[in-house]
Amino acid sequence: MILEKEMKLSEVILHDYNLVPIINRFGIQLGFGDSTIESVCKNKDIDLDFFMTILNSFHDPQYMDKEYLRSFPVELLINYLKETHKYYLSDKIPEIEVIIDDMVVEARDDKGPYLLLQKFFKDYVYELKKHIDREEALVYPYVIKLSSSLKTASIPDSVISMVKEYSITLYEKEHDDVEEKLNDLKNIIIKYLPTVKDQKNRFLLLKELSALENDLADHARIEDLILIPKVEILEKKALLG
Amino acid sequence: MSSTKKIIVITNSFLLAAGVESLALEIRGLLVDEVFSGSEKKLCEKVLLKKPDLIIIDPVSLGEHLIPTLRTLREEPETLIAGLVSESMKENVKSKFSHQLVKDAPKYQLIEELQSIIGKYIPEENSKTLSKREVEILKNVVLGLSNKDVADKLFLSVHTVMTHRKKIARKLGIKTVSGLTVYALMNKIVDMREVERRT
Repeated sequence: MILEKEMKLSEVILHDYNLVPIINRFGIQLGFGDSTIESVCKNKDIDLDFFMTILNSFHDPQYMDKEYLRSFPVELLINYLKETHKYYLSDKIPEIEVIIDDMVVEARDDKGPYLLLQKFFKDYVYELKKHIDREEALVYPYVIKLSSSLKTASIPDSVISMVKEYSITLYEKEHDDVEEKLNDLKNIIIKYLPTVKDQKNRFLLLKELSALENDLADHARIEDLILIPKVEILEKKALLG
Repeated sequence: MSSTKKIIVITNSFLLAAGVESLALEIRGLLVDEVFSGSEKKLCEKVLLKKPDLIIIDPVSLGEHLIPTLRTLREEPETLIAGLVSESMKENVKSKFSHQLVKDAPKYQLIEELQSIIGKYIPEENSKTLSKREVEILKNVVLGLSNKDVADKLFLSVHTVMTHRKKIARKLGIKTVSGLTVYALMNKIVDMREVERRT
């Protein structure tokens, strides 16, 4: 189902619980009564087109409306992507770490496998951080600079040569190894961790890892399907002068 | 058919993709992983990264990109490729595909065709346990040796080592070296001291 701005936000959230973290990222708190998406956005000063794009792309991965692509500033998108990075690093990852730490404590006799799990996750987080740092230090500043120079009367030569040299299409994705590690981790938990009676933490860990996996996939999709095409448009503009 | 197979459909027609997906759902153990559309350069890379068992291609949506796309996809010999063809399609397009799904065919026939493609040609792994050789290779990989080093040490070709590594990844469902390390440690194929000593 395609979500429309005239719909009540409460009904949308009832229909798809997975959208709760999204509205949270936009600073919308529960308790918005019967307001439509449009009026909630207006109250909170949120760009409606942008909000609809993100909401719909999370709700239905196959949905991507090209028309929305052009209508909001790229800075909003960058801010949003940065917010999601923050959410992973300061909310999600620590939550998962607590579960794993708990599992290490619970295992009385043979802590070996759990310590391995702990170490594996630590390495994974290190790599994820490296990937995020690279995006925030290189890719995003490039996009911001490109966009802001297009607003000036004449585009500086330095920006044009930057576009020629860099170009977003060259922006190699390193998601893959990070994705594969997460998948390996799930397989290890499902298939190879020694069987125990109390599986509560194990189930919780699997649930959290799957949620993180979905979130990261959505993040990557937004980069591929919204950010990159948008920046390609900006690059074309810059080169045409 | 007990294990799950991954199918990827390449088409820019939403209806066709949804149709293939619903067809695949009729077959037990089949999973349509993702549906890709378009014909951009990156498409092949993306599709191959997913390591599908079967790629179904709608030749109409690829147009002139069909031949280069097929060439790239065929570099992965373990992946099956089938064409979505129709009665009226030109022979020279149809003949590009050794496996075909005929769009205009009735449902039961399509299911049979799809089942025969994936059931007949995908090598079934009878045992998920690693062979002696695979354990040996796994151990060396985990200890930090490159494919070339492993090949030299065990008197194998690099190609053979890579084939073994692919098999190991498939059997265990673990692809990264760090994941394999955890597996090897848990199963006492290596011990912690050995791993710590690796360069």
